[in-house]
Amino acid sequence: MAEQANTYELTYIVNGVLSENQTKEVVGRISKYIEEHGGNILEVDEWGTRRLAYPIRKKRNGYYVNMYFRAPGEVIARLERSLQIDDDILRYLTLKLDSKMLRHYEQQKSSEKRARAQEIGTLGREDDED
Amino acid sequence: MADTRQETTETFDTSNIEYVDYKDLELLKRFINEQGKILPRRITGASSKFQRQLTLAVKRARHLALLPFVADTVR
Repeated sequence: MAEQANTYELTYIVNGVLSENQTKEVVGRISKYIEEHGGNILEVDEWGTRRLAYPIRKKRNGYYVNMYFRAPGEVIARLERSLQIDDDILRYLTLKLDSKMLRHYEQQKSSEKRARAQEIGTLGREDDED
Repeated sequence: MADTRQETTETFDTSNIEYVDYKDLELLKRFINEQGKILPRRITGASSKFQRQLTLAVKRARHLALLPFVADTVR
């Protein structure tokens, strides 16, 4: 059976009052869940703590995590269910990347790489771990 | 197109944008007013295709609390 894996983008907000360790644990838990169910993660981009545009469950700040991964379609329903149940996750948004979005994503990544390469060229800074 | 009287934003060329990303707040903020409402096409001059994508992106951003549903107006 050919493996039907689609590319997805998941953005979720973790409760802002958690300690750094707890937040890391939550992020790790989600990533592990995806990996365990046959997905492979392309990128995890943690935006950090941001002020919310409106209070969610009385909280004003949230820790944003944005990630891209490939997974078979059946995983998504269970993943979203577990996000829904998790008390530490305030909001989530899962999107399936269609061809336009994929192109947009590829373009962004390549322009980021170019920008970073330029910086490294001129300043000789350490490269971030990818 | 006759009644684009005062365009609150410059006519920004949107024909080359393939996908309106809900994370691109810089772009999105050009098309909402101070109250957080999405501006109509006749004000911004956007194409209908762009406006549809923009609306979807703004609503997603609102869901993720990147943009407000209602912003406080200066009274």
